[in-house]
Formats: sequence, C-alpha cells, structure tokens
Amino acid sequence: MSTDNKSTETPFVFPKWVDDLRPLVGIVLGLAPVYIIVLVWFGLSPKTQNIGYSPEQPVPFSHAVHAGELGLDCRYCHNTVEISAHAAVPPTATCMGCHTAIKATSEKLEPVRASSESGMPVRWIRVHDLPDYVYFDHSAHLTAGVSCVECHGRVDRMERVHQVSELSMGWCLDCHRNPAPRLRPAELVTRLDWATEEDREALGARLMEENNINPRTDCSTCHR
Amino acid sequence: MVRKWTIWILISLGVLSLLPFALIARARTARTAEPRIHVFPDMDNQGRYKSQQVNRLFADTRAMRPPVEGTVARGQLQEDDHLYRGVRSGEWAAGFPMKIDREVMERGRERYDIHCSPCHGLAGYGDGIVARRADALQEGTWVQPSSLHTDLVRSRPSGHIFNTITNGIRNMPPYGFRVSVEDRWAVTAYVTALQLSQNAAIEDVPEQQRANVQEQ
Ligand code: HEC
Ligand code: HEC
Ligand code: HEC
Ligand code: HEC
Ligand code: HEC
Ligand code: HEC
Repeated sequence: MSTDNKSTETPFVFPKWVDDLRPLVGIVLGLAPVYIIVLVWFGLSPKTQNIGYSPEQPVPFSHAVHAGELGLDCRYCHNTVEISAHAAVPPTATCMGCHTAIKATSEKLEPVRASSESGMPVRWIRVHDLPDYVYFDHSAHLTAGVSCVECHGRVDRMERVHQVSELSMGWCLDCHRNPAPRLRPAELVTRLDWATEEDREALGARLMEENNINPRTDCSTCHR
Repeated sequence: MVRKWTIWILISLGVLSLLPFALIARARTARTAEPRIHVFPDMDNQGRYKSQQVNRLFADTRAMRPPVEGTVARGQLQEDDHLYRGVRSGEWAAGFPMKIDREVMERGRERYDIHCSPCHGLAGYGDGIVARRADALQEGTWVQPSSLHTDLVRSRPSGHIFNTITNGIRNMPPYGFRVSVEDRWAVTAYVTALQLSQNAAIEDVPEQQRANVQEQ
C-alpha cells in the first residue's frame, strides 16, 4: 500500500554539503544590512535622482544658440524672474517677435507657429520641479545677487536644458548657511560667464554687509 | 572545511552585488529624458495648480486665466493717457509723465540692453547681433531694424517712441506685454539720451571741457 511505502522511506535529511554553506550564509546575512543601506543611500540620493534630468521638448529650442551665440539676456525671455517667485517660460509671442522673420518656414518651429495661430500655449516640459510643499522665490535670490549659474549651471551652453543641481533641502541650506562665495553684484546675475580677480569670499562678505543679506534657515522660510 | 565552490559562489555574489552600483553610477553621470521616480510620493505633487501649469478644464488648457476681455481689475483702470499711451490732448506727448533722474536713466540703459540691443545694437545703429545674424543667414523676410539716429526717428516725440515700444511698429514686435510701463518710459528716456549722444555738436560740450574733447 502506498501509505505504508511512505512510512518506510528514510526521512529527508540535509545532505552533507549543506554544512559547508553555513559560513557562506553567515557572511551574506552579515553583510546584507550594510549593503542594503549603502545601496538605498546612493540609489535614492537626490544626486542620483534629480541631476541630469533633461526632458525632450516639443520644440528643439537651444539656449546655446539664443543665450550663448546670440547673447540674449535671460530676462529678454524670462522676464518675470526678477520681480516674482516664478520665472516665466516665455509665451509664443516672444518667439514670434523674431521668428515671423527669421527661420520663418523652419520645420523645427512648426509647433510655435501653430500655437501662434491657435492661441494654445506650447507645451514645454518642466525641468526643475520642487515638491509642492516648498516655497521658492527667484526674485529674492536675484536681488540679493545669486546668479542663475549657481543653481542652473551654464544654461548658455546647453542645447537642451538639463538639471545640474540636486535641489534638495541640504543643497539649499548649504548656501543659506554660507552664501558669501556665491554672491556677486546684483546687476551681473544674468552674466553666466562672469568672473572676477577678487576673492569671491571677500567680495561676498562685503556685499552681505552692504546690502544686509542674511538668508534665513528657519523652517518657515521655505515651508510656509 | 570550506569547499572551493562556496568560494566561487561568494565571489560571484560579490560581483553581482556591484551591478546595482554600476547602474547607479551611470544614472549619476548620464542625462535622462525620463522623469524621476517618486519612491515616496509624500506631498510632492499636490492637488493644486502652480504658475503656467496645464488645466484641461479650460479650452486653452491654461491654469493661469487671462483676464476676461473687456474687464478691468481694481486699480488697473489705465486712465492716464500720457502715462499709459504716450498721448496728450490727442497728440503724441513730447515730455515724460515722470521725473527723469540718473536712476531712471540707468534703469533705462539696462532695459534697453536687454530688450532692444539684440536688434538695434548697443549704440542704436540697427546693427544688433540678431540683425547681423539675420543678414548672414540671408533671411528674405527680415526687415532691417531702424537706426535710431535717422532724422525721422530723432524727430519722433517721446510719446511716439513709447508707443513703438508698447505696440511695436510695422515689422517691429510689441514689448508692452513684458516690459512694465515705468520701464518703457525709462527706455524711452535712454533712447532720447542715445540720440543726443550720437548727434552732439561741439557746442553741446561745456566750454571748460571743449579743449579736452577736441584733442581726442
Ligand atoms: C529666446 C528666449 C530665451 C532666452 C534668452 C533664455 N531662455 Fe531659458 N528657456 C526658454 C524656453 C522657451 C524654455 C522652455 C523650454 C526648455 O526648457 O528648453 C526655457 C527654459 C529654461 C530653464 C528650464 C526651466 C524648467 O522647466 O525648469 C532654465 C533653467 C532656463 N531657461 C534658464 C535660462 C537662463 C539662465 C538664461 C540666460 C542665460 C535663459 N534661460 C535665456 C527661453 C529662453
Ligand atoms: C531675438 C530674436 C530671437 C528670439 C526672441 C527667438 N529666437 Fe529662435 N532664433 C533666432 C535666430 C537669429 C536663429 C538662427 C540662429 C542660427 O541658425 O544661426 C534662431 C533659431 C531658432 C531655432 C532653430 C531653427 C532652425 O531651423 O535651425 C529654433 C527651433 C528656435 N530659434 C526657437 C525659438 C523659440 C522656441 C523661441 C521662443 C522661446 C525663440 N526661438 C526666440 C532668434 C530668436
Ligand atoms: C537659488 C537658486 C536659483 C537661482 C539663482 C535661479 N534659479 Fe531658476 N529655479 C530654481 C529652482 C529651485 C526652480 C524650481 C522652482 C519650482 O519648482 O517651484 C527654478 C525654476 C526655474 C524655471 C522654471 C519656471 C519656474 O519658475 O519654476 C526657469 C525658467 C528658471 N528657473 C530660470 C532662471 C533664470 C533665468 C535665472 C537667473 C536670472 C534663475 N532661474 C536663477 C533655482 C534658481
Ligand atoms: C547659492 C545660494 C543659495 C541657494 C542655492 C539657495 N538660496 Fe535661498 N537665498 C539665498 C540668498 C542670498 C537669499 C537672500 C537673503 C536676504 O535677502 O537676506 C535667499 C533667500 C531665500 C528665501 C527668502 C525669501 C523671502 O521672502 O525672505 C527663500 C524662501 C529661499 N531663499 C528659498 C530657497 C530654496 C527653497 C532653495 C533651494 C531650492 C534655496 N533658497 C537655495 C541664497 C541661496
Ligand atoms: C532653504 C530652504 C529650506 C529650509 C530653511 C528648510 N527646508 Fe525642508 N525642504 C526644503 C526642500 C527644497 C525640500 C525638498 C527636498 C527634496 O525634494 O528632496 C525640503 C523637504 C523637507 C521635508 C520632506 C523630506 C522628504 O523627503 O519627505 C521635511 C520633513 C522638511 N523639509 C522639514 C524641514 C524642517 C523641520 C526645517 C527646519 C529645521 C526645514 N525643512 C527647513 C527646503 C528647506
Ligand atoms: C526683434 C528685433 C527688434 C527689437 C528687439 C526691437 N526692435 Fe525696434 N525696430 C525693429 C525693426 C525691424 C524696426 C523697423 C520696422 C519697419 O520699418 O518695418 C524697428 C523700428 C524701431 C523704431 C523706429 C520706429 C519709427 O518711428 O519709424 C524705434 C524708435 C524702435 N524700433 C525702438 C525700439 C526700442 C526702444 C526697442 C526696445 C524696447 C526695440 N526697438 C526693440 C526691430 C526690433
């Protein structure tokens, strides 16, 4: 009978070589927590997640051409950047000021012309995006003399905008605690290639003194 | 005794465990067109609209609503013809609706350099970098920006220049929608100063300094 047969079988016994696995399992289990912590640390860090994001835009608009070669000031297009929290991405009319006459039939500009005709905005894809619970204000930084380049990098050399800063809380605070080496006279904020012989630290310290610049670090500055 | 194959397993596990780090290292250096993954969504994206976002409730998909046509916001009734339109008793105004001091002039220069110099050039001769590029590209549709130092443009009253900036003229695009009223007047003042500077006669120089200028 089948049941009898089973009971007479020898019970399952771990083969001998399993013993040899024991040190192996020990090593793996011992290292696993460290490994997982390090992996999550690096994998989820804003340096990994945020930097380098560069979405494909509906129009292959090049800052390298417009802001670099042609030397247009950032404020020609991002005209609200000095006066409001939000740096407006330019409306179609700004592009059409030149592009009704320059490259007027270019295929690359087709979406811009279509938008101009229909009144529907061009769907630019956002690159930089802080979480909605963070309050950020461009005008406060520009009037204090923090240049675009400190946060956005050399946009005037980018064919397609990509994110160069982490935009993490630690990154904001690093500067709020010690802004001096990253300050400059406020009228030069859009000159991304600006450099000076003077020691930036000393210059910054003087500007902070003169203009009473004191970035706050209490939570309600950015979370309100 | 540790057997050889357990060592091999250890080594291959070790190598495999480096693979995620290689991927992370690549993610750190490469650009990506994919948006980040929100492992913990927290309240990163809340149910509200920020500036310039898309809202499909409206036909034009703008979350920021343009003012309804024909309406005027409180305090925005632009009654002052001189200030807002550059017109005084039906004619282009000759003067300025505000005091022009050094500060306004500096502001005007800054705004001129930002908004006008790409086409008209820093000195106003219509030789800005965009104009030169358009020439080089032989754009048939491009109209040369006017020199601001022709007799015609110099004879324009300031109200006319203000209006040119606000609404554009012939082939020049309008700037009213993105340069504030005060800034437009500041630019007008600076343009007037530019015109004077480029057409100065020696009689305009104070007597004590004439010798100085003539030497150079
Ligand atoms: C000719 C108009 C123009 C000029 C001049 C210009 N930009 Fe832009 N900028 C745009 C447009 C259009 C976009 C949206 C498309 C894109 O992201 O490429 C944009 C996007 C950006 C973004 C990314 C915004 C986001 O979605 O997060 C940054 C940052 C930026 N610009 C910075 C600058 C800086 C710095 C300068 C000056 C050196 C500058 N821009 C000059 C038109 C302009
Ligand atoms: C001040 C004038 C000016 C403004 C404003 C401007 N552009 Fe341009 N753009 C140019 C010039 C000049 C060129 C040609 C550069 C070249 O090829 O040497 C150009 C080239 C381009 C091209 C490449 C066209 C092709 O076929 O090679 C694209 C795309 C473009 N612009 C998009 C835009 C968009 C989008 C905007 C609005 C945000 C804009 N431009 C605003 C002057 C301007
Ligand atoms: C102190 C850092 C900092 C400086 C300086 C700075 N930006 Fe930004 N910028 C940001 C951050 C952070 C965001 C994302 C804002 C958000 O998500 O709300 C942003 C977003 C933008 C955007 C997208 C629209 C928006 O406002 O969200 C544009 C365009 C832009 N910046 C242009 C500029 C230009 C042009 C300058 C220089 C004149 C500049 N920025 C200077 C940090 C900075
Ligand atoms: C490169 C330096 C720098 C970086 C990076 C920076 N800030 Fe600032 N921030 C400043 C300075 C300088 C001021 C001006 C302080 C003053 O005027 O006294 C300021 C002021 C502010 C203010 C105060 C505005 C007000 O109304 O008082 C806010 C809010 C703010 N920053 C948020 C942020 C956030 C959020 C980030 C990160 C996304 C950030 N900042 C990154 C330098 C920086
Ligand atoms: C200079 C601006 C600034 C100040 C000051 C600041 N924060 Fe933040 N905080 C940020 C930014 C930016 C983020 C978003 C970080 C990200 O997206 O990785 C953030 C995120 C957070 C988060 C969410 C973290 C997460 O990943 O879910 C918490 C919680 C927080 N902050 C608490 C605080 C507290 C508590 C203080 C005061 C001690 C404070 N913050 C002060 C800018 C600031
Ligand atoms: C995109 C290039 C462009 C920009 C930027 C531009 N203009 Fe012009 N402007 C022109 C062109 C083109 C004409 C000639 C129009 C025609 O004859 O069809 C012109 C003509 C003029 C005239 C002469 C009008 C007349 O009375 O006949 C004045 C004055 C003037 N512009 C002032 C300005 C000022 C001030 C600014 C800055 C706010 C400015 N322009 C920016 C292209 C430009």
